[in-house]
Amino acid sequence: MKALYEQNQSDVNEAKSAGRSDLIPTIKFRHCSLLRNRRCTIAYLYDRLLRIRALRWEYGSVLPSSLRFHMSSEEMEWFNQYKKSLATYMRSLGGEEGLDITQDMKPPKSLYIEVRCLKDYGEFEVDDGTSVLLKKNSQHFLPRWKCEQLIRQGVLEHILS
Amino acid sequence: MFVSDFRKEFYEVVQSQRVLLFVASDVDALCACKILQALFQCDHVQYTLVPVSGWQELETAFLEHKEQFRYFILINCGANVDLLDILQPDEDTTFFVCDTHRPVNVVNVYNDTQIKLLIKQDDDLEVPAYDDIFRDEEEDEEHSGNDSDGSEPSEKRTRLEEEVVEQTMRRRQQREWEARRRDILFDYEQYEYHGTSSAMVMFDLAWMMSKDLNDMLWWAIIGLTDQWVQDKITQMKYVTDVGVLQRHVSRHNHRNEDEENTLSVDCTRISFEYDLRLALYQHWSLHDSLCNTSYTASRFKLWSVHGQKRLQEFLADMGLPLKQVKQKFQSMDVSLKENLREMIEESANKFGMKDMRMQTFSIHFGFKHKFLASDVVFATMSLMDSPEKDGSGTDHFIQALDSLSRSNLDKLYHGLELAKKQLRATQQTIASCLCTNLVISQGPFLYCSLMEGTPDVMLFSKPASLSLLSRHLLKSFVFSTKNRRCKLLPLVMAAPLSVEQGTVTVMGIPPETDSSDRKNFFGRAFEKAAESTSSRTLHNHFDLSVIELKAEDRSKFLDALVSLLS
Repeated sequence: MKALYEQNQSDVNEAKSAGRSDLIPTIKFRHCSLLRNRRCTIAYLYDRLLRIRALRWEYGSVLPSSLRFHMSSEEMEWFNQYKKSLATYMRSLGGEEGLDITQDMKPPKSLYIEVRCLKDYGEFEVDDGTSVLLKKNSQHFLPRWKCEQLIRQGVLEHILS
Repeated sequence: MFVSDFRKEFYEVVQSQRVLLFVASDVDALCACKILQALFQCDHVQYTLVPVSGWQELETAFLEHKEQFRYFILINCGANVDLLDILQPDEDTTFFVCDTHRPVNVVNVYNDTQIKLLIKQDDDLEVPAYDDIFRDEEEDEEHSGNDSDGSEPSEKRTRLEEEVVEQTMRRRQQREWEARRRDILFDYEQYEYHGTSSAMVMFDLAWMMSKDLNDMLWWAIIGLTDQWVQDKITQMKYVTDVGVLQRHVSRHNHRNEDEENTLSVDCTRISFEYDLRLALYQHWSLHDSLCNTSYTASRFKLWSVHGQKRLQEFLADMGLPLKQVKQKFQSMDVSLKENLREMIEESANKFGMKDMRMQTFSIHFGFKHKFLASDVVFATMSLMDSPEKDGSGTDHFIQALDSLSRSNLDKLYHGLELAKKQLRATQQTIASCLCTNLVISQGPFLYCSLMEGTPDVMLFSKPASLSLLSRHLLKSFVFSTKNRRCKLLPLVMAAPLSVEQGTVTVMGIPPETDSSDRKNFFGRAFEKAAESTSSRTLHNHFDLSVIELKAEDRSKFLDALVSLLS
């Protein structure tokens, strides 16, 4: 885009100074392509923004470092701001404690669900402090709210009997 | 120790805790596991399920999980060895063992704190009495403590003589006691056999808590039928257990017998059937089923040309056209299917097959799906033992576990296809073994070894399919040989397990008689033979009569076995 812009600039100067009106279509053409490129980049950046927003819902408030590596500092800034506004909103709902709306994306049918582990994950802590070792192909019967994150990440699979 | 009240001492203890389930890889264990899972889901008991296929996997899994759980439930593994010795648990861990393997190890029976056996005590156990096996070691020290109370020297000499006499008496008593103890333990542990199905035990627990459902009853039926298909229990026991289950079936399914108030077609219905013994016949063609069921194939002697002719005679006797019989059973003419069972039974009687029909159960739901218990057993067994190398053994376990739920019928049908392949391969291998005389008599037992190049040999690397092959081979051999002595011999079967490591699986089957009590002495025999020749064996399976052996040690192992058993 920069190259196009410079070429255009030099042509405009030339047209103005030397009075060469035959350069005007070229200038217009380059200007249109500049506008198009700008539209494309803005669409790309906007799409990235929407994906980053979806990451908050998928991964929670802490992103894995592999993802953070791919984000620019402005995007991190935007992510933090989004996190803050979502948190303020959640606190304002549901009385004193606030309501965590990132849980239970679909209406839950039961308190505990049966899950099967699809990959080796390691230890996973349960509410009463003890932990469960998640190995491939082991099945567990755990409270729903603990498993949702992992189901979304694809580590666990919900089994309907 | 034996748990007397399953509900109070087992279920209520476990209900508020997190438990770990170790489940062995056989169909009975899968069914028991499903019933227990259903109960736990009803009561929100947090559990973790880990499939295990041998002692090594059990030990590794235990080491990984032992910090996180204090209550462990073992299904179809662990009763026949000293668990505390193998697993070395902490003081506050408790094990609940629901196992069909007998004899139950005496340490497991007499340990009061950590091991609870979910086995009914009247299950013909014959456990030796406590005093015959265990003895407090403190008694001897008390006696020797009294010795040095001597006061006067003149009395000391007589006392010394008395003490010497006493000590020799005690030593002799000790030696006699120990010899008797060795005999008792040897008699007790010599023969391996199987007790009541774990799935039935779990169903009983569910019934006691009034939480039993038709689905759970079906799983209990499958567990029992698995024991019958794999020849683990005697015919008498099977019939008794079928009677017990029949009462439950009529309790749950009596609404279907009334013509007016029947349930909708989509509801599950279990019914008692006195149906033909042919494997998978309703999902296959009648001809294929007759050729690939061990009962008919061995009695018709289908590996010979003469046998094939007899089969044709049999079909002609019943008036069934060959074209009809060779197409899928569901597309046979309805007029032929109507009296099929009675016709086959009559003709079978003429050809010397008196037990063509057996007592079993069937399940229907919807218009299309009808299964006999043995169909589901074969399908699940093939899913679990399939040699497809996609992933580890636990993948197959999970597939087989899924196929038992009603919502996964596609997996069950896939299992049925695999089962057909398995049965066909079994019969072909048997035919080739008999035609090439691979079954040789070694004296006290028969021996057969599958070569590596045999087609489908990889299908027989797992113990359940190898066991099916060996039993069918023995049955067919009994009908093919004229040597009366050979008919009463047990069979030792060897099949290649892993080409890279050069190992073979060796399995021992008790002799085939009509009224056999299914007791297998090969477990101990293999152990002793391996010790005496220091062959490199791995006793990894929960059934002690199946071992892995290095191919090079095979001949010396066999020689040791021959000398041991003759």
